[in-house]
Amino acid sequence: MNTFEYLQPKSIDEAQNNFNEKSRLFAGGTDVLGLLKDHIESPEKLINLKNIPGLDKIEYVQGSGLKIGSMVKISAIAQHPLIREKYTVLAEAAESVASPQLRNVGTLGGNLCQRPRCWYFRGDFPCLRKDGGECFAVDGENKYHCIIGGEACYIVHPSDTAVALLALDAKIKISSNGKIKEVPVNDFFILPGDDILRENILQPGEVVTEVFIPEPKANMVSRYLKFTERGSWDFAIVSVAAVIEKSVNTIQNARIVWGGVAPKPWQDLEFNKNLQGLKISEDILKKVTSTLFEKAEPLEHNGYKVPLVKNLTKKILLQIA
Amino acid sequence: MSDKKITKSRFWFEEHEVETISEVPNKKIKPWASDAKLDVVGKPISRIDGPDKVSGRAKYTFDRLLPDTAIAKTLRCPFPHARIKKIDFSKALKLPGVLAVITNEDAPSIPWFHESTLFDSHARYQGDEIACVAAENEAIAEAALKLIDVEYEKLAFVSSAAQGMKNNTPKLYDSGNIHHGKPTIYQRGDAVSGFKEADVIVEDTFTTQCAVHNPLEPHGSLVKWDSDHLTVWDSTQSVFGVRGKVAESLGIPENNVRIIKQYMGGGFGSKLEAGKYTVMAALLAKKLKRPVKIVMDRQEMNLAMGNRPDSTQTIKAGVKKDGTISALSQKSFGAAGAYPSGTGTSWPLRSMYQCPNIYTEEYTVFINAGPGRPFRAPGHVQGTFAFESLLEQAAAKIKMDPLEFRIKNYAEIDQVGNVPYTSKRLRECYELGAKAIGWNKRNKIAGSGKGSIRHGIGMASQIWWGGGGPPAKATMKLTADGQLQVFSGTQDLGTGSYTFIAMVAAEVLEIPMDKIKVVLGDTEICPYAPGSGGSVTAPSVSPAIRDAAEQMKYKLLSFAAVLSHEPIENMRYKNGVITSVNMSSTKYKIEDLVGKLSEKEIVTHGDREANPEGMAIQTFGAQFADVDVDMDTGKIKVNRMVAAHDIGRMLNRKLLENQFHGGIIQGMSFALLEERVIDNNTGKVLSTNLHDYKIPTIADIPEIEVIIASDSDPKISNTGVKGIGEPAIIPTAGAIANAVYNAIGVQVKDLPMTPDKVLKALGNA
Repeated sequence: MNTFEYLQPKSIDEAQNNFNEKSRLFAGGTDVLGLLKDHIESPEKLINLKNIPGLDKIEYVQGSGLKIGSMVKISAIAQHPLIREKYTVLAEAAESVASPQLRNVGTLGGNLCQRPRCWYFRGDFPCLRKDGGECFAVDGENKYHCIIGGEACYIVHPSDTAVALLALDAKIKISSNGKIKEVPVNDFFILPGDDILRENILQPGEVVTEVFIPEPKANMVSRYLKFTERGSWDFAIVSVAAVIEKSVNTIQNARIVWGGVAPKPWQDLEFNKNLQGLKISEDILKKVTSTLFEKAEPLEHNGYKVPLVKNLTKKILLQIA
Repeated sequence: MSDKKITKSRFWFEEHEVETISEVPNKKIKPWASDAKLDVVGKPISRIDGPDKVSGRAKYTFDRLLPDTAIAKTLRCPFPHARIKKIDFSKALKLPGVLAVITNEDAPSIPWFHESTLFDSHARYQGDEIACVAAENEAIAEAALKLIDVEYEKLAFVSSAAQGMKNNTPKLYDSGNIHHGKPTIYQRGDAVSGFKEADVIVEDTFTTQCAVHNPLEPHGSLVKWDSDHLTVWDSTQSVFGVRGKVAESLGIPENNVRIIKQYMGGGFGSKLEAGKYTVMAALLAKKLKRPVKIVMDRQEMNLAMGNRPDSTQTIKAGVKKDGTISALSQKSFGAAGAYPSGTGTSWPLRSMYQCPNIYTEEYTVFINAGPGRPFRAPGHVQGTFAFESLLEQAAAKIKMDPLEFRIKNYAEIDQVGNVPYTSKRLRECYELGAKAIGWNKRNKIAGSGKGSIRHGIGMASQIWWGGGGPPAKATMKLTADGQLQVFSGTQDLGTGSYTFIAMVAAEVLEIPMDKIKVVLGDTEICPYAPGSGGSVTAPSVSPAIRDAAEQMKYKLLSFAAVLSHEPIENMRYKNGVITSVNMSSTKYKIEDLVGKLSEKEIVTHGDREANPEGMAIQTFGAQFADVDVDMDTGKIKVNRMVAAHDIGRMLNRKLLENQFHGGIIQGMSFALLEERVIDNNTGKVLSTNLHDYKIPTIADIPEIEVIIASDSDPKISNTGVKGIGEPAIIPTAGAIANAVYNAIGVQVKDLPMTPDKVLKALGNA
């Protein structure tokens, strides 16, 4: 790890005023410390957001929705009774993150802004995402890489909460030069084709301050299903977030989002539309999921993710019914 | 009684038969009878080092620090194959806090591994040692590594054994990439005609991955010179082994080197030999005239501290309709890494079942990757998985119950040496294990279950040596306060040696455990005992402890007899008190007896006796797995493992279960999760941390039931103990693989059985 200056500002203004192009924002630190130790990033200034008041609150306003501060711990989201009841998909996604120790330290903002886990990116390889000359995964060991949305770089986005938040139609609040802007989750994350050096739209010095999730309809149910190789402390091979409005066992509206398959949380709006009005049954679901990810372009070792997407999507919809 | 003699003895250490010449007791102590009612030995006693460990008082090598200690870090080659053209560390030396740098240019040329040296200008793998820096602290040492400019000539590399087997691949050594230039061949009978006798022939290829030891406590040493004497605190499985290598490397007498190891966070074989790091630290410490500490980080652990070599095994079995195996053959190869290491996997095939005709041909291949090292039952884990998988195919083909098939081919004698076993209780293991797992609940036809979750039951057998042998020694000192000190140059890897040693002494001398202090792992004060590998520790050391304790008892009885003017035959020993059968007034507490001596102590010295001639000592067992396979995801869930084993006498039920749980978890992890991954395009390792190198979490652990089918093996030694460290892991992957086959009706022939491979085997991906 290189030496750096360590700041603990008391306000967002102070954080932003001290920010320069060699700075790095620091929330829970579970990812940033790894990036520093592995020399993936070598900032000269580390700006810890922990002492800024007001960022660690969960606030629910009936009829409006839920606000979660960016410094709220992942474990607090997983354990929050109202989130568990009304936004089950988010609580389950939060509960599936890493390990209890990491969830007690990691924050929502940090979870959304974490860097990818690609072992070439994290290792001693001058890859494109580190401004190097080539992608080593494309014809290398790519069993954990993306099957869709990759372009020159084939990372998957590692966040579980992002997948749930997109399914919940959440918005992310960003403090930018003293102003607050609000963007839908889908517009927050970007693909390598947009900018290969970043995973989201944040400009230097911008800070995620809050996530807003609208009030769910009374007939909404939601679940998160994460498939990993290991029982705990593992990133998703494939995950599925499902938010469904239903009457009896007919789907009225569906928002399905996948993690582990693309450089950002992935949705298929046409598929969501196709689910509308469907009665949930094994046969029907088998049929509608059979054509999922037809546009996927698996690499040499990750083709198994396509049947996983289909089977897990079928499974979660059956569970939800 | 204390007469000694020098004799030869033979026993197996890992995969090698060793012949020792050593001092052993002239008169063997009568072994405890198989049905002897022992008061301490065999009981589930909590480990005596438990309170130290859970309270954090226990000092591991990793925790040790002396005043004024400098910290050393190693610069390792970043390429799989390179030649050093120039090293310039002048910038590193200028960094404040940097104390010294050593490289191939200024360090003595110390032979290490095959044809190479401590710092070799020819770097043969990513991780080979290039330079070592000592600094005031770890951060400075790390920063200094980045300031060393090395000009490398990058060389073409070999990244897999399959590649290394081909001609015209880059060479690691002038003599070629196949170790010794030829395969190791074993033959028994005539395999060609044996296959002709068969009604059915099955043949298949199985592969196993390279796995890394990754003990919780990394490798490391703290070294300190006092004049020309060197003290090393080392995280090692063999204090005497390290002493020999360090002394030889530094060109100093062994008696000038003291190796100390008290507590250790696991070894699994990678810590059986001295590390280059210890010698590098000693060289730096000499230069600096300060203590030096060097500890590996997790990346170094995954690159350079050893591994279980991978394997590609093509196995063929000829079977008659009645289930008799008529011939077996195996052709296999494995990657040793950049330096010699055994990659053989055929021992289970040669020795597990009755078979007159066998041919095996095995190649050890050098590749540009971290060196292999013994890893908990080297070869047997890989070999058992492949062999037992093939037998499952054979049993299915002749429509025979897999367990019945194995019993049909039960080996009554050791066919490799053509000698009887000292004991074999494998039949009982089969019977007890099958009952515990519910063998009759398995699918009669593999894969015949229905639904998206398929249930299966499978099993595999285990054979291993683990009998131990001499030399293994212990010194015992009884003092006038009634305290007993036991010294032995063995070591406790976390397996419970401290505890079983105290138990054996407590059993013989009938004194409470808390009056016994056990001192291990110190070459200066403990008599010799072997390295803790090959499952030899308890079977080698426990008889020496008993020998020393019985001598102590005899000395006490003799002394009491002298004091009471009676023949020793009249003296009785009970709970540390000696009485006479004739005179009720005669009563000596042992501490009082010692107190009467001017020296206020009685010292005895015990030895492990020689092994019986003309007999094979082996451990046996069978493990049974109960699994679910999710047909939608390819995920294998191990619900339950039953381990039924013949391990001679059980010393301590708790420690035994500890070892079995550890072995089975590690075996399951080998079957399902762990894999060192190399990028073939660059030859670099991708799995260098514990996120990418997956070891199991508590969420992955199945229910485990341990059944011991043996009572004792009195032919081996006075305690009748066999080892358990390695037997515990050997059959686990094979049992799980066969349970998976029973569940889904197809075999996954390539470990680890990750979901992608299961889906592929199912035709779903």
